[in-house]
Amino acid sequence: MGRVYRRICFLKAEGRNGEARKIEDTDLVAAVAEARGSVGTEIEAETRLSQVKAEGEALVTEAIAYAEVLVPMLTDRLRSLALPGAAAAPAAPVKRRKAEAPGESRGIADFIDEMLAQDDKPSH
Amino acid sequence: MPTATVEKQPALAGLPPSTSVTSPPRPAAKAATLLIGLDLGTNKSCVLAGSPGSSDITVSKVVPSVVGYVRDGIVDGIITGNAQILFGEEALRQMLHVELVAPLAEGVIARPDAARDFMQHIRLLADPSGNADIRAVVGVPANAGEQSREQIRRSALGIFSRILLIPEPFLAALGFRDDARVKQPGYVDPVVNSLFIDIGGGTSDLCLVQGYFPTREDQISIPFAGDAIDEIIFGELNRTYPNNGLSKITIREIKEANAYVGPSRKPLEVKVVIAGKGRTLELGDAVGNACNVLIDKIYPALTTLIASASSDSVVTLLQNIIITGGGSQIRGIDTVLQKRLADDGYESPKVRVAGQDFQRYVALGALKAARAARENQWQVLLA
Repeated sequence: MGRVYRRICFLKAEGRNGEARKIEDTDLVAAVAEARGSVGTEIEAETRLSQVKAEGEALVTEAIAYAEVLVPMLTDRLRSLALPGAAAAPAAPVKRRKAEAPGESRGIADFIDEMLAQDDKPSH
Repeated sequence: MPTATVEKQPALAGLPPSTSVTSPPRPAAKAATLLIGLDLGTNKSCVLAGSPGSSDITVSKVVPSVVGYVRDGIVDGIITGNAQILFGEEALRQMLHVELVAPLAEGVIARPDAARDFMQHIRLLADPSGNADIRAVVGVPANAGEQSREQIRRSALGIFSRILLIPEPFLAALGFRDDARVKQPGYVDPVVNSLFIDIGGGTSDLCLVQGYFPTREDQISIPFAGDAIDEIIFGELNRTYPNNGLSKITIREIKEANAYVGPSRKPLEVKVVIAGKGRTLELGDAVGNACNVLIDKIYPALTTLIASASSDSVVTLLQNIIITGGGSQIRGIDTVLQKRLADDGYESPKVRVAGQDFQRYVALGALKAARAARENQWQVLLA
């Protein structure tokens, strides 16, 4: 039932409400009926159903949020791998620059220089 | 360093190209130079102005980002000075008599014609005489594309003589920095090692600021912010109280007065006037649920950036997570994010809100950048 409910949540998040309703009217009804039959009292069944629903919604929300962040990053990475000659170069590990040590003062104009240098580089 | 926008740009409807073969307009002899720091927000813009070589701020204004075009047939005298175009608060006050247009959506220009009119208004706010030669640093959303940037340049053609576009969360860090305390022992310079979360109307921008200009990988822009929260509340209100007739402007005002995250706070009773009658609506869940969606959107981006910080900087970084922008006013947003990080095992996280000047930090950082920029760093706007 959790899997069915998550599927419905995804479809609704994508605006595919018609497909979501279809699953609600068929698969979800069957899944809920099966779930009710396997749990003891009506109250326990309702509690379990609410729990599954809440967990499903939370998982879908989190998955969509992660996808919004990761998909653009993965797209850029895949695009850079598709460029001619990229296959010949070994994948360089992503180097993270160390944070500036206290006391090393840099002017705002220096930051602007770095920004303009980044803008001048071709984007992947 | 480029001093003029000479590259060819794809045609953008509604505005002249930012480059042309005509000579740049020469300012009048001895025209004073004025520097502007501009936070061009989807809902609210902040403009700070000052002279080069001075630390004084001569103009400081927060303006709703809205243009009102007076409707045909409005009787003389209804609109002050019989103006044809209104801006900001005045446009909102006269909303019955104008067509309200929002120049920006999701942090970028959506209506070029209105954006240009709005820029002209910003110019007049900073320089009522209209004679100054104005150079502006304008904040842009993190990782804004070239087309978005070009639209800003074009909207400023003939209005500013020079422009520099800098990502907003970095400007927020610059603005938040207390320059008087930078050399003091114990002062943690936010530009050296911090993570800024700038929650506006159109976008929520996160940026790792660690002593160098942030790269694309150090910045994440999420198209979910104040406006998206308003939409959720609006939908929930219409479901719970059908035909309530409340406008989105009223919804936004309700949200700004009552926004919170975390466990449900009920009752949250708000008095409104519907069809002339006073009503009390219970909005605890509607407001809380909508604002909590923002946390779910921000948190994965936050942990992604934390994970990308070097191991020798991350512990200090975790102590310097700063929320700014209108979203910083959501009650509990700092404690909820901090608790979530702590519960997930992050070492002694400390999340704080930027404080009462939250509306000004991006513009303040922009003005600091304008004062510090070298001559060859400015882009000349040719008109």
